[in-house]
Amino acid sequence: MLLSVEDIYVHYGRVPAVRGVSIGVSEGEIVCVVGPNGAGKSTTLLTISGVLRPSQGTINFDGQSIVGLTPEAVARHGISQVPEGRHVFTTLSVEENLRLGTRMRRDRAEIEADFKRVLELFPVLAERRRGAAGKLSGGEQQMLVIGRALLTNPRIMTIDEPSLGLAPNLVDRVYEVLLELRESRGLTLLIVEQSSERAIKAADRIYVLRSGEIQLEGDAADLQDGEKVRQAYFGFTEGVEHAGEATF
Amino acid sequence: MEVVVQVIISSLSLGSFYALGALGIGLLFGVLRLINFAHGDFITVGGFSLIVPATAVVAVPLILDFHPVALIICVVGVVVVWALASYFLLFRHIQTAPPAVLMIASVALSFSIQNLIIMIYSGRPKAVGLWPELTGVIPLSDKVQVPILQLVIVAVTWILLILLTIFLRRTPIGVEMRAAAEDFRMARMLGVNATRVIALAFVISGALAGIMALMYHTQTGILSFRGGVFLMLYAFIATVIGGMGSLIGAVVGGYVVGIFSTVLIAILPEGMRGFRDAFVFGLVVVILLARPQGLVPTRAFKERV
Repeated sequence: MLLSVEDIYVHYGRVPAVRGVSIGVSEGEIVCVVGPNGAGKSTTLLTISGVLRPSQGTINFDGQSIVGLTPEAVARHGISQVPEGRHVFTTLSVEENLRLGTRMRRDRAEIEADFKRVLELFPVLAERRRGAAGKLSGGEQQMLVIGRALLTNPRIMTIDEPSLGLAPNLVDRVYEVLLELRESRGLTLLIVEQSSERAIKAADRIYVLRSGEIQLEGDAADLQDGEKVRQAYFGFTEGVEHAGEATF
Repeated sequence: MEVVVQVIISSLSLGSFYALGALGIGLLFGVLRLINFAHGDFITVGGFSLIVPATAVVAVPLILDFHPVALIICVVGVVVVWALASYFLLFRHIQTAPPAVLMIASVALSFSIQNLIIMIYSGRPKAVGLWPELTGVIPLSDKVQVPILQLVIVAVTWILLILLTIFLRRTPIGVEMRAAAEDFRMARMLGVNATRVIALAFVISGALAGIMALMYHTQTGILSFRGGVFLMLYAFIATVIGGMGSLIGAVVGGYVVGIFSTVLIAILPEGMRGFRDAFVFGLVVVILLARPQGLVPTRAFKERV
């Protein structure tokens, strides 16, 4: 396991948001965590990032504990984090945003090559290179954030709801890019997603999180019909036909 | 005509002063959401560092007797050390607290510094003759005379503004600082070292306060334990008018306040000049009613780590 989260509990004040969650990600794998709003998905990612601290449990990355590290220290371990809501620096130019991704690195020659590669991958960023990042459209901002995360040369990228607020065709494009990156450079991905259909399509393995607990875990190949996932997602077995009609 | 020229130069010089103060406050607000009420006291500390610590009425020069270059370096250095110490000993330990807590801590720090100065130097104001050659005037014509110091203040301010702009635009650490001011959590997730960025903001803020201390005490010639308090107050309203967290806004706000106060002094009837502050703060109320986000709005009030 490259990343292994074991039995973590996270509280907001006294309210538990995550209870006994364990997630493992192997090198080169795409793992999706799906679940409804308020299930604890983002909390789990923020805990891995070092923004939140678990009250209990361990998080190991490449055999080393990363619990209690600051977000910047976690980033330096090679965990690149794309939090929910895109988070481009709107007043900085597109290039400045991208370059921020390279600040941890010392391999100058490689940085320039990677920089060119990201601009090739996202030609729109090359066009708007000198413009303010705040002027980009939602889809372009998502590309910028992924490009920036790539420039940290991560060993694993965690992405919180890459499809949030994007038109469906853009979401397709985002996932296309992510799958391409896995193919081309063996990128390991941990993706939080609200749509179980997307997750089943993209992931190698899936965790369903609801009410702060893992309800289901399995290979995406075994969950193709989506039925089990839906049950775990909604938390009831009766009325499943009805639930299946929900557009998620 | 003569009056107009003099008012323009005076208001630019006063505005520059407030702009520098507002920048010192705005920088820290940007990265830490700290409204630093002790900023004025950093200016006071810079002034007192010129003389030998003693309660005697007559000030004995210390740094004051140094060669000008050494003098500038020493005063700025002293203030920077104070600013850094206040970060590492105080603000660093409460930096995740809500902005109100940080602000109150800075008020407490402000009073502590003032009382420390009273303890060491006594509460009496002391005369200090810093760079008397700068207090002269340049006659432009028979009637128009421009104080040299005012020109120096404007020039120094613009040099500092240009240097700060180059730093923030052209250096990687400057870009990090802008990123951190906009979205600190995301910046950290990209590996930006929070402590380093905040400490650097304190260094720059302290350096600005140190330079202000030099210009302010050259102008007044008097050291007082509350010397910087009013400066801080005006600089603070300049940042509020300009839009908290926007550095351009801080500069704009500084000039608005400076120009408005000077013009008021020129146009108000004699008997009302004493109430200038009422008009200045009235302007603040009007501006905030019209534009609560300030003249140059930012995303400054977003949540942060």
